[in-house]
This record gives sequence, structure tokens and C-alpha cells, in this order.
Amino acid sequence: MSVIEILTRVDAICKKYDKYDVEKQRDLNVSGDDAFARLYAAVESDIETALQKAETASNEKNRASVVAINAEIRRTKAKLLEEIPKLQRLAMKKVKGLAPEEFAARNDLVLALPDRIQAIPDGGAAPAPKPSGGGWAASASRTQIKFDSSDGRFDDEYFQQTEESSQFRSEYETRKTKQDQGLEMISEGLDTLKNMAQDMNEEVDRQVPLMDEIDDKVDKATSDLRNTNVRLKHTVNQLRSSRNFCIDIILLCVILGIAAYLYNVLK
Amino acid sequence: MLVTDLQYLISRSCCWLNRTKLTLTRWSADWRNATQYYEQAGFTPWDAGKHMESAGALAVELSIWNEVADFYRRASELYNECGRSQPASDALAKGARALEDAKPEVAIAMYTDACSLLEEDGKENMVFDIYRAITSVYIKLEKYTDAATFLLRWAVAANKCNALHSQCKAYLSAIIVYLYAHDFKEAEKCYNDCCQIDTFFSSDQSHCASKLLSAYREADIEEIQRVSKSSTVSNLDHMIIRLARKLPTGEVVAMEVNSVEHGEALDEDDLT
Repeated sequence: MSVIEILTRVDAICKKYDKYDVEKQRDLNVSGDDAFARLYAAVESDIETALQKAETASNEKNRASVVAINAEIRRTKAKLLEEIPKLQRLAMKKVKGLAPEEFAARNDLVLALPDRIQAIPDGGAAPAPKPSGGGWAASASRTQIKFDSSDGRFDDEYFQQTEESSQFRSEYETRKTKQDQGLEMISEGLDTLKNMAQDMNEEVDRQVPLMDEIDDKVDKATSDLRNTNVRLKHTVNQLRSSRNFCIDIILLCVILGIAAYLYNVLK
Repeated sequence: MLVTDLQYLISRSCCWLNRTKLTLTRWSADWRNATQYYEQAGFTPWDAGKHMESAGALAVELSIWNEVADFYRRASELYNECGRSQPASDALAKGARALEDAKPEVAIAMYTDACSLLEEDGKENMVFDIYRAITSVYIKLEKYTDAATFLLRWAVAANKCNALHSQCKAYLSAIIVYLYAHDFKEAEKCYNDCCQIDTFFSSDQSHCASKLLSAYREADIEEIQRVSKSSTVSNLDHMIIRLARKLPTGEVVAMEVNSVEHGEALDEDDLT
């Protein structure tokens, strides 16, 4: 069995046994033909429920639900205020079987109703217009944000800057100028870097063909050198052939012999 | 046989070389004859060219300016005969640099020849230094229109070898030179012409130029000085920076009056 089914069953049972509800019958009997009394009773019960809701709102921890409940209370209050003129007209009507004192009392009751309705706490601001115009710290809780809370009184005082707001504004201006200065310096540095980089780029582009030329020339020089080395090696090997070596040794011996002979002769 | 001939010639040239050294009796060097022997001794034009260059350097030391020009030109011709255009233009440039103070017109002629040599050979990327030297000589001689012309030629050379940054810098320098010469109309015309070129139009240098020209139109001296101290101008060549720093050159107020007159004339036209 789902919840919906349970609810419908409970409703049916209550309706069936309503005739046994003593208090309800009494109320119905009392109001009976009297439209004023009926409406007045409805308004009273609505005020009661609104007050109960206000109490739950003040005890509620969750901000979102508090906001929702307060909105509902405000809706109810607006609805009730609309009912007041109707109630006043009904209060004027003469009703059968009504005592004159009670008739006069009805008017007073109706007049007292608006104040009672307004007095229901709905988390709104105080009736007096707040000098707004900024002041972030001034709005204590989100629930106090109200449109048209000042009842349309936009006089000079309303737009006066509080001390806090002007302080905030000057702080904002100084920070903005400091940031601007910093950004200017960065921009100058970047300009210089960009120019230097572009110049370097062009210079390197200029050097590329020169490097290619150097590359070719060095390659040519290396191959020439290699060739020369090989030829030199061949030549030196030829020079160092054993035949020449023997001839050199023999000639050396001859010269030594001649020297020794001369030395002997002269001694 | 050839070797012995060569050796003979070299020995003769050394002998003449001794003659070129100054002594107490000889107050001037007998260069003409010496160089003939130099030429003959050098059996390739390359060596001859090298010798010519050293002859030119010695002539610079002796301050014989006519001879300097001759020697360096001859050296450049000899290098050209070898088919080497870069050393040819280098020789001309060296000669011109030596003659910058003494004979600036001759120096400019030599520089121009050096540029044309390289440009004919397709080596535009090496001409930038020469153009820079030409511009500085013209600015020293206060011939600002010629300087601006050469700056524009520099830009053409830069465009050919795809050096776009140098091209934009050359255009901005030309505009600054025109402004320094009090020629606002020329500067504006130059700017409009250069803006036809996409690379310049979208570059920092063109923004700088437009700011400068608008500051001139409004005769705002502080704005002119601020633009000349900006980083874009400070990255140009030093002689251009010097001109830019001196820029609001006294006739700025007149330009404002001119522009106002122009404005009135336009208004009258519009009303009719």
C-alpha cells in the first residue's frame, strides 16, 4: 500500500467521522449564517498558523527552509490584508440576532486585525527605511534582503555613502592603480623582449647562408687535407725505404771513420 | 721559368715596398709604382686585391684621401674579377668608413656602390649595415630627405629577404626623419604609403607612427615626447633615437593652426 492510498483512506475516514467532532460542530454552528463570523474565524485561524510557522522559522537551522517559510508567511500576510476590506464591509451589515455591543465590537476587531497581521514575524526588515547604498557588512543575513523595503522613500539620505562604503571604494581605487602600474611595467618588459627576439631572429636568418658557405668550405678543406695526408704518407714511406736507410748508415759510418782518423792524426 | 719570373717580381715588389716606407729623405710614399708591382707580383686578383686594401689602409694612416678612395675601388674591382662580391663590397665599405669624416660625399658614393654590388648579387641581407652607415652619414650632413629615401630603400631590401621587422623599423625611422625635418606632410604621405603594406599596417611600428602623427596634429608636445620615449622607438637605431628624442622641434603650434584651417575649410564644404 503506497502513501497516497493511506492518505486517501485517512481522509475518507475523517470525513465519515466528522459529525462526531464536537469542537468542529460547535464552530460550524456558531458561524452558521453569519458570513462575518465565518470569515473572521478563517482569518484568525490563518493568523494562528502563520504565527506557528514564524516560530518554526525562528527555530529552524537550515537557512533555505527559513527563507521558504518566511516567504510563505509573507504571502499569507498579504492575502489576509486583502481580506480585511471584505471583513470591514461584512462588519457593517446588520445581522439578525446580534447584540448592538457585539456589533460595535466587530468593527474594533476588524480594525485590530491589520496590526496583528503585520506583527507576525516574517524575517523581514524593520518598518523604518534603512539608509542602504552599499555597506556589504551591514546586511547581516540574507533573509533581510528586501525589495521595496523603504516604502518608496528615496530621499537624499537614502543614497548617502556610509563610511564603510567610501573606505571600500578608495581601497578599490588604490588597488586598481597599483595593478595598472604593475601591468604597465610587465608590458614594457615584454615589448623589449619581443623586439630583441625579433632582431635575434633576423640576425640568425642572416647567418644561416654564411654558415652554409663555411660548412662547404670546411668540407672541401677537410677532403684536401685528407688527400694531402695520404700523399705525404706515401712520400715518407718511400723516403723511409730500407735501401735509403742502409745507405744513410753506411755513409754515417764512413763519416765517423773519417772523424776518428782525423782525431787520431791530430792527437 | 714562370717560378723564377714570379720570384723576381716579388723581390722587385719588396724592393719597392721598402721605397714606400717613409724615410728622412722621402716624405711621401711612391705608391703608384709600388702598386703596379704589387699587381704583377700577385698572380691572382685575390692577392692583388688584398694588397690594394692594405695599401688603402696605409694611405688612411697617411691621410691621403684621394688615394684612399682609388685604392679601395681598385681592390673592389679586383675582388669582383675573382667573382667574390662580398669582399668587393666590404672593401668599398671599409674605404667609405675611412672617408666618412674627411670626404662624406665620396664616402656616400662608395657606400651606394657597395649596396648595388650586393643587391645585384642577391645578397640583400648583408646590405643592412651599409644602409645604416649611409643613413647616419646623411643625418650628420643634415640631408634628411636623402636619409629618408635611403631608409625606404633599406625597407625594400629587407622586404626582399623577408626581414619584416627590419622593414617596419625602417619605415618608422623614415617617418621620424621626415618629422624631424619639419616636413609633416611628407611624413603623413610616407605613413599613408607604408600603410598599404600589410606587414607594416599590422605592426607595432605603425601604431607608434600613427600615435606620433596624431600627437603632431593635435600639437600635444607631451604626447610626442611620451611616444618618442616608448619602447618601440627605443629599439630603432641610435641615430634615429637621438632624432626622436629631440622631436617636437618648435613648429608644432603652427601645425595645429594649419589643421584648424583645414577643418574650417572642410566644414564650409560640408555645409554647402
